[in-house]
Amino acid sequence: MSIDPNFTGPTTENLLFDASEAQRRRKPGRIQRIGDHVRREWQLYVMLVPTIVWLLVFLYKPMWGLQIAFKDYSIFRGIADSPWIGFQHSETLFNNDQFLRALRNTIIMSAYGLLFGFPVPIFLALMFNEILNDKFKKTAQTIVYLPHFISSVIIAGIVITAFSPSAGIVNTILEWLGFDSIYFLTKPEWFRPIFIGTGIWQEAGFQSIVYLAAIAGVSPTLYESAVVDGASRWQMMWKITIPSIMPTIIIMLIIRIGNILEISFEMIILLYQPATYATADVVNTFIYRQGLQGGQYDFAAAAGLFNAVVAFILVMTANTISKRYSRTSLW
Amino acid sequence: MNGHFRNREDTMRTLGLSIAMLASTAMTAPVLAQDIELPIVDEPLELTIHMHWARAQGYGPGGDTSEIYPVEEVARERTNIHLVDQTSGRNTTDNSEAMNLLLAAGNLPDIVGGANIRQPVNEYGPQGAFVPLNDLVDEHAPNIRAWFDEHPEIWDAISAYDGNVYYIPYLPDGKYARAWFVRQDWLDALGLERPDDVDELYEVLVAFRDQDPNGNGMQDEIPFFVRDWEEVLRLLTLWDARSTGADVYHQFYLKDGQVAHPYAQDEYRDGLANIAQWYEEGLIDPELFTRGSSARDYLLGENLGGMTHDWFASTSGYNVALADKVEGFDFVPFLPPKSVSGVRIEENRRIPMKPDGWAISYANEHPVETIKYFDYWFSEEGALLANFGVEGKTWDMVDGEPVYKPEVLESGEPVNSQMYLEGAQVYRGYPQDYRYEWQWTRDSAREGIELYDSEDLLVEQFLGVSFNQEEQEVYDRYWPSLQTYMLERQQAWILGSGDVKEEWDDYIETLNDMGLQDVLDVMNSAYERQYS
Repeated sequence: MSIDPNFTGPTTENLLFDASEAQRRRKPGRIQRIGDHVRREWQLYVMLVPTIVWLLVFLYKPMWGLQIAFKDYSIFRGIADSPWIGFQHSETLFNNDQFLRALRNTIIMSAYGLLFGFPVPIFLALMFNEILNDKFKKTAQTIVYLPHFISSVIIAGIVITAFSPSAGIVNTILEWLGFDSIYFLTKPEWFRPIFIGTGIWQEAGFQSIVYLAAIAGVSPTLYESAVVDGASRWQMMWKITIPSIMPTIIIMLIIRIGNILEISFEMIILLYQPATYATADVVNTFIYRQGLQGGQYDFAAAAGLFNAVVAFILVMTANTISKRYSRTSLW
Repeated sequence: MNGHFRNREDTMRTLGLSIAMLASTAMTAPVLAQDIELPIVDEPLELTIHMHWARAQGYGPGGDTSEIYPVEEVARERTNIHLVDQTSGRNTTDNSEAMNLLLAAGNLPDIVGGANIRQPVNEYGPQGAFVPLNDLVDEHAPNIRAWFDEHPEIWDAISAYDGNVYYIPYLPDGKYARAWFVRQDWLDALGLERPDDVDELYEVLVAFRDQDPNGNGMQDEIPFFVRDWEEVLRLLTLWDARSTGADVYHQFYLKDGQVAHPYAQDEYRDGLANIAQWYEEGLIDPELFTRGSSARDYLLGENLGGMTHDWFASTSGYNVALADKVEGFDFVPFLPPKSVSGVRIEENRRIPMKPDGWAISYANEHPVETIKYFDYWFSEEGALLANFGVEGKTWDMVDGEPVYKPEVLESGEPVNSQMYLEGAQVYRGYPQDYRYEWQWTRDSAREGIELYDSEDLLVEQFLGVSFNQEEQEVYDRYWPSLQTYMLERQQAWILGSGDVKEEWDDYIETLNDMGLQDVLDVMNSAYERQYS
């Protein structure tokens, strides 16, 4: 095939040139691209502004104050004018047996909380999912949600009364069964079970909502085909429901691990006594007693900073492990 | 931040000048009230004030700053100084938090007042946040000077580590606070006398436990109960030990002119062993640590509690409140039982000086006028106004005594609550007048107070020290952990998990390892500097 000498259309070279030229025009600078995007989708960006402002004001600006962990902070002098003292507060912290004990308690209490507290909402959600009677389901759900809406102060009051040696329901039952009554809230060995149990009772119902939502999102066709195949409800739960909500479970687990050191310490403050400090004192209550009641903000900041560092390491680790083994991760 | 530093330097410079111009005059006889000239200024002068305390977060009735206290109206008329509210932290009831907010914001009003100002004022005063008052008082405040010339130990107590005084305190009057109370009707029912010493006390408590004094056929009596669990430690005084040296719990105390801690003494070991024994025998409320503030309401109302250590006024009030509910109810104060060595003391008393009051901030451009104004509240006229409210409105002068009008005494509202709304009994720096409280004290409490007054029961109070920076560091490093440890062991021993006598040597050794001696050293060095 020969080339027509009179051909006047675009040559290959011309075509290539045109294409790359178009490409160049379509691929402007990064800033211009973002600018274009903002102009086109400005409504979305406006909606983002309050969140960014919130983050800056309430999360990033306070980080500036973390420096008092390394300063001899005087409220009157202010952060900038207080002298630097290096790691003195951290040293004091790690030479303090009570801090180390509080750290140990925090980790133990969080680990138990995770171990016993994390599966309960999943069980609850699976169980709710199996209830056929709608009315019963709704009522049961409402009852388990309720404690979440009660203030910690009242919950603590309920716990103190329930475990009271003279009038408490727990000791009344123990006495019926022929045991001696126990002054639970002054016994270090009972503090953790009571605290973790209270936490589960208070929050498990509410936390199950997330899993219920995830279960609702599982495609019904899966169940239909399972029914056709003659699967039992038990098999459907294990083979369909749980695998389908696994990503949700893992994300929730990572979030839980990230918050692992944030024990609801207001509840501990309401329930503990010097007699139970041995098992009940956690980093946050230690900070509260030592730092805030004693006015040692710099020292408290050092303890809080350390708490944050440990939490950061934990969440990074959990995320990495999850990414490697389940391909689900926060980022 | 920098702005207020510059300001401070300027103020300090002008202040230095004015102080230099003042000759420090030696005080001779107490100056009489006539010496102050009213009004203090010819033209009305507005001063801003931070006034944060339990009953009002703000300088106005109940914290409502849109209204003006009747007392403030009179004070404005008399002195021409107008206090204008500028209180920080009005949405919190925590005084220290409010103070910290105020200091951190850096924009101090002319006058900083309220509850718990002693520590911050004495810490930040030497850093320049507050004006030293020594020369101002000597030169311009004859009434304040006269009051403190009569009470030099209180002047020492309020001074900061640099020797200066930075605030004028609220000075409570009256002696007794808490007392021992027993169910007289129970004693009568069992044919017992009021216990006079520790052995008789033990017998009474055992009888309360075993002999069914409430007559319901059940052994449900709680022989000894308390509202705050720390009150149980008052029993320590029965074995010549101490639980505290001041009007708050677990404080240091004075032992042979030295600062010591009661929980490191041998007497404490023996006393606590006995308390543990009584607890085990069921003489002390088994729910001691969790019963909380409703213990007294519940145990008296249900006719279960036999004996306590609590406030005179409020505890004797149950005789009226429960007259219909519990037949024959008669809860009476009795003298502290004699200790094992025959000594009778009442450890708890009203402290003569509070960490409350007011101070002049560095931002105040009229320190002389302000100290004259502070002085007004120490004059006879000002003190009456501060204690009783406006004359002719809430009280009248009868034979030289201020007497409340019947409508105040019989209104059904506690008189103190009424006063707080009038602007009297507010935590400004002023000398409280016990006549104010005596007028509305119930007869049963009056009898008790007179009974306690008939003997010499009170012990010396430890009024606290002001640390310099190094001392403060030592104290902050060791003390919180030490106190935590002391309380942990204390509760454990009372509850019977551990034996105080067996563990005593380990306990003392641990306290020393944790720095008790260092804390006592800084306590004593501060004490010597301040009080000698």
